[in-house]
Amino acid sequence: MTNSVTHLKVGHGGRISHFTNDHVAGKLMTMGVLPGSKLQVMRIAPFNGGYYLKVDGMNIVVRNDEASSIMTTAELAGN
Amino acid sequence: MQKIALAGNPNSGKSSIFNQLTGLRQKVANFPGVTVEKKTGKLQLTDGEEVTIVDFPGAYSLYPNSEDERVVLNVLVNPADENFPDAVVYIADITSLEKHLLLLTQIKDLGLPCLLALNMADSAAQEGIVVDTPKLTEFLQMPVIAVSGRTGQNIPQLKQEITALLQRKKSSAPLYQPNPTEQSVIEKLQQTLGIEQPYRALLITHHANKLPFLPKEKLLEITRICEAEGFKNLPLQIAETMRRYQIFTPVLQTAIQKKADKITFSDRLDAVLTQPFLAPVIFFLLMFLVFQAVFAWATYPMDLIDAGFSAASEFLKNKLPAGWFTDLLTEGILSGLGGILVFVPQIAILFLLVTIMEEVGYMSRAVFIFDKLMQQFGLNGRSVVSLVSGGACAIPAIMSTRTIGNWKERLITILVTPLISCSARIPVYTVLIGFVVPSKRILGIFNAQGLAFMGLYLLGIVAALGSAWVFKKILKSSEPSWLMLQLPPYRLPVWRNVWQTIWEKTSAFVLEAGKVILIASIVLWALASFGPSAKMTAAEAEATSIAQQKNLDETATENLVAAYKIESSYAGHIGKFIEPVIRPLGFDWKIGVALVTSFAAREVFVATMATIYSIGSSNDEVTIHDRLAEARNPETGAKVYTPATSASLLIFYVFALQCMSTLAVVRRETGGWKWPLIQFTFMGLLAYLGSWLTFQLFS
Repeated sequence: MTNSVTHLKVGHGGRISHFTNDHVAGKLMTMGVLPGSKLQVMRIAPFNGGYYLKVDGMNIVVRNDEASSIMTTAELAGN
Repeated sequence: MQKIALAGNPNSGKSSIFNQLTGLRQKVANFPGVTVEKKTGKLQLTDGEEVTIVDFPGAYSLYPNSEDERVVLNVLVNPADENFPDAVVYIADITSLEKHLLLLTQIKDLGLPCLLALNMADSAAQEGIVVDTPKLTEFLQMPVIAVSGRTGQNIPQLKQEITALLQRKKSSAPLYQPNPTEQSVIEKLQQTLGIEQPYRALLITHHANKLPFLPKEKLLEITRICEAEGFKNLPLQIAETMRRYQIFTPVLQTAIQKKADKITFSDRLDAVLTQPFLAPVIFFLLMFLVFQAVFAWATYPMDLIDAGFSAASEFLKNKLPAGWFTDLLTEGILSGLGGILVFVPQIAILFLLVTIMEEVGYMSRAVFIFDKLMQQFGLNGRSVVSLVSGGACAIPAIMSTRTIGNWKERLITILVTPLISCSARIPVYTVLIGFVVPSKRILGIFNAQGLAFMGLYLLGIVAALGSAWVFKKILKSSEPSWLMLQLPPYRLPVWRNVWQTIWEKTSAFVLEAGKVILIASIVLWALASFGPSAKMTAAEAEATSIAQQKNLDETATENLVAAYKIESSYAGHIGKFIEPVIRPLGFDWKIGVALVTSFAAREVFVATMATIYSIGSSNDEVTIHDRLAEARNPETGAKVYTPATSASLLIFYVFALQCMSTLAVVRRETGGWKWPLIQFTFMGLLAYLGSWLTFQLFS
């Protein structure tokens, strides 16, 4: 069961299975956001804005569009 | 002289290492053809040789997503480039090494001699991270050394390694093996275009469309080869990137010992600082504190500078014989210099606070908080940083927009940033605000003038966002807009970096803007002191006879004569020429002169007023404000600086693009005169209409 990051609640996460957009994938991968990386949604920005994610211990911020093309598996509850 | 490139990801602490290696011996310029900042410095190697170090912009890979990253690619695949390095010192953050090695493996595959400096060794020690450097050396086939840009740990050893690297100049075997399609494209490029280095050939194939140095016929040839071989850029790029991670990640897992992920100090701090409701409140509280601090702290050194220049001017006047040369020294040069230096405290304090926020890691949180809001106005979360920096000076702020990847968002940010009140407006506001708002306390703690001051800033912000919204509707763009930003862990600022930035910004202001201000000041002095001689004599005679009729005392006669003389000077002629245009705004010809001269830089307004009124003054020690308060129309006797005129003038300065340095920077950033002219016109219209409305309201 894969889930787009935009369907995750704050504090929840999983492992990235794949990206649904190659352009987004190309950019995110250069920053070290890869299929297999552990991802957790830390916060959603005020004004209904972007996503603050923790990916393998690194904090990154993406917009909704990018977040929606990151697919994760196996929901992990936040710790 | 041999060149060393300093490369690494953003947030790798590259600038700390650069500062450690070069000290104050730095030069800031641009990479040719683009406006990406290039810092260079000199380093004395341990064998006595001196080499140049070029600090490359931070980049994640050689598949660029921003102008900064594009520069790194353009230089590294072009050995003919003047910045092409003899060796690369790669800086990586030891605490997140697994995310920092991609670019290094690419640079290594380009056949450049490299060494890896693991920065933030001090943080690693605290976090219990242990790195097996011999293992990394063996794997990467290059020297690996743990250093700290913060504490200076192992910097001498780094210098030794750089020396050895330049003596050896040995490149290592490539890490990535091209797949069959890539291999055959590489071979074709080697045969037809003579690009020998395999990975360089591959990267040139990928980026052929956007490489400035590639001649048209080579581009056509490459396009033809790509079609023939079925070379698909994006899938191949993704596969290559993935493969690189697959090669080095397992090695890193055995070479690095790390404690399991835990909730860090940064996470706890972010829980508050990026909390959806608290975050904007905290941000604006911080901004409010910044402005209060700039306002309160800068007053003391500014008063000292003022007093110093007044004393020097007085001293010269007493010691030197009266005449045009003494006047030039005291009223032209000294007052110009004073006008430049008086801003140094404000600029320094503002950059101190902004740089601390940047260094600590708070600025990138601000980007996260405001991205969505900024998007509504056609801007980018990163625009917040430019807009805030615009509060100090639009010039560095506009230059900082290059981190915005989307051209439309970047252009809008550039166009509206000068509407944010910069430090050069502060003196204009300070001098004029007293004529509109009395100095009293509200609720016991707030100064009424301080609040009015903040109101002017808010007006600028509203105007900036409003214009941005209009531009968003007008400008078309097909480019995708995106934001991917790393939030570095909160760290104590590296003070050396903070001082370095303050030094850089203030000296840039003093040397670059200062030149213009000083020249303007001297030109203005000449314009105000000289005029058509017949008219000057006639004016003097007329003033003297009027004074005799009115039975004025000696001082009043002198002032009247001076006022008539200015009116007949060249400056007076210019002011009078434009007076019909500015009359509806409540401005007289003296203000007209100041408007023209302050186009050099807004703060010249005050210098102009100082010059114009000190010429008409018999007492140099009254402050400009008091002097202006006394200013009367010599014919009607009515005060010039009424609340209506002052308010109108304040509004004019909020909106008008009264700064030729800004225009020059915008021209450079947008590559032509089109956008600066559009910007000048729309801000000018805004200023004229705003002032006219204000004048009607107040009078």
